[in-house]
Amino acid sequence: MIDLHGYGPRLLEGAGVTLQLAVLSLILALILGLLTASAKMSRNWLLHKVATLYTTVIRGVPDLVLMLLLFFGGQMALNVATDAIYDRFGVDWYINLNAFAAGVLTIGFIFGAYMGETFRGAFMAVEHGQIEAGKAYGMSPWLVFRRIRFPQMMRHALPGISNNWMVLLKTTALVSVIGLSDMVRVAAEASRATHEPFTFLIPVAVVYLLIASVSEWMFARLQKRYNVGFGGH
Amino acid sequence: MADTPIPLEVRNIKKRFGDTEVLKGLSLEARKGDVITLIGASGSGKSTFLRCMNLLEQPDEGDLIVHGEEIRFKQTKHGREPADWKQVVRMRAKLSMVFQSFNLWSHMTLLENVIEAPIHVLGKPKKEAIEHARALLERVGLTARADAYPAQMSGGQQQRGAIARALAMDPEVMLFDEPTSALDPELVGDVLKVMRDLAEEGRTMVVVTHEMGFARDVSSQVIYLHQGLVEEAGPPQEVLVNPTSPRLKQFLAPKY
Repeated sequence: MIDLHGYGPRLLEGAGVTLQLAVLSLILALILGLLTASAKMSRNWLLHKVATLYTTVIRGVPDLVLMLLLFFGGQMALNVATDAIYDRFGVDWYINLNAFAAGVLTIGFIFGAYMGETFRGAFMAVEHGQIEAGKAYGMSPWLVFRRIRFPQMMRHALPGISNNWMVLLKTTALVSVIGLSDMVRVAAEASRATHEPFTFLIPVAVVYLLIASVSEWMFARLQKRYNVGFGGH
Repeated sequence: MADTPIPLEVRNIKKRFGDTEVLKGLSLEARKGDVITLIGASGSGKSTFLRCMNLLEQPDEGDLIVHGEEIRFKQTKHGREPADWKQVVRMRAKLSMVFQSFNLWSHMTLLENVIEAPIHVLGKPKKEAIEHARALLERVGLTARADAYPAQMSGGQQQRGAIARALAMDPEVMLFDEPTSALDPELVGDVLKVMRDLAEEGRTMVVVTHEMGFARDVSSQVIYLHQGLVEEAGPPQEVLVNPTSPRLKQFLAPKY
């Protein structure tokens, strides 16, 4: 057994942070992605422009820059807002933007843009006749979405979602710059203190690989489920 | 039975696509048990006319009355639209459509296709919907295919399945949009046979078709469309046997 010089529990905790951060960011990214795709396909001019601006900006600016901008900028914006409330109403609502929440928001926000493109392509791949049949049988737009568009779209979206998820998982390592103790930060600290980088970085790499492998297996199962009726794989 | 509302009435439907006026004022009245066939060359507007009847296309002008209820419209910046989409949804549930390309939902088995709208649109209990669906599948000769997905079925089977799906709604009127045009010739017969049976049992049907034999034998009324207008209409014995319009004569003449 490798000697982790007492860093074992903190590393484990860090792995927990990484996993939670990744899963919560994924959920946020999926929601934002669906909203973005809907906005881009909407005939409302303003929604379309806002969504296009969002995906263009996010995809064109480095993740690290966005994270710092959102973390520091977000805190400043919050301060301005809470100061204004204090000045006007005398209520002190000071909120300290917690690094974990900032991490989830930033990563979710970044990957929402990528998911948006994935979903948009997938929605457009659904045959129009399938949707028309739903309409012709008296389904409301929401019912058509829930029973037909969504399940058929998922078949096309899953490979893209799975790919985005893998990149998202690795992007969580960036949160160490805003002071969050994910497993990468703990490992870096321990490496510096003990001068044994491999002792810590190799287990970290293995944990990432493990999460990636498990999720690949889960995505394969989902893919199988959504491929039903379409033949092939 | 003077109080029974007419299943479907359309009056003076007009529709443009860009600069082209494809429907120039078409009307139709489907009384209970009527089988109305729409014939005409491609581009005559017959499919567009049919699609206006359940508002898959929005007519620019004209009235639509389903089972005595008139659909309300309003003008928006995108053109004329239904004023109340809930009303449209309710009206569509009374008119089921059979498409040229079948459009069975590809992620559901045949049985699931047939019970889908009765359960989720009409609110039928699942058990009852399944029983009804099985009876309908037997009727169209597809009992053995209930658990097959559309991709595993032939075109003829898919279309008969689509007819079962339409029947499951207990529709006031069935709309058929060239139901046999996408089928291999040897599969057309089975689908037409099912449609003949439906006509015989008194279903109200509006059928866009190229099958002149079906139009002649089954329809109560044939409407020949040319460039978005009715060129000739009447009982099949008159319209198809003794056409007066030179265009219709030419349309009906053997091509080879």
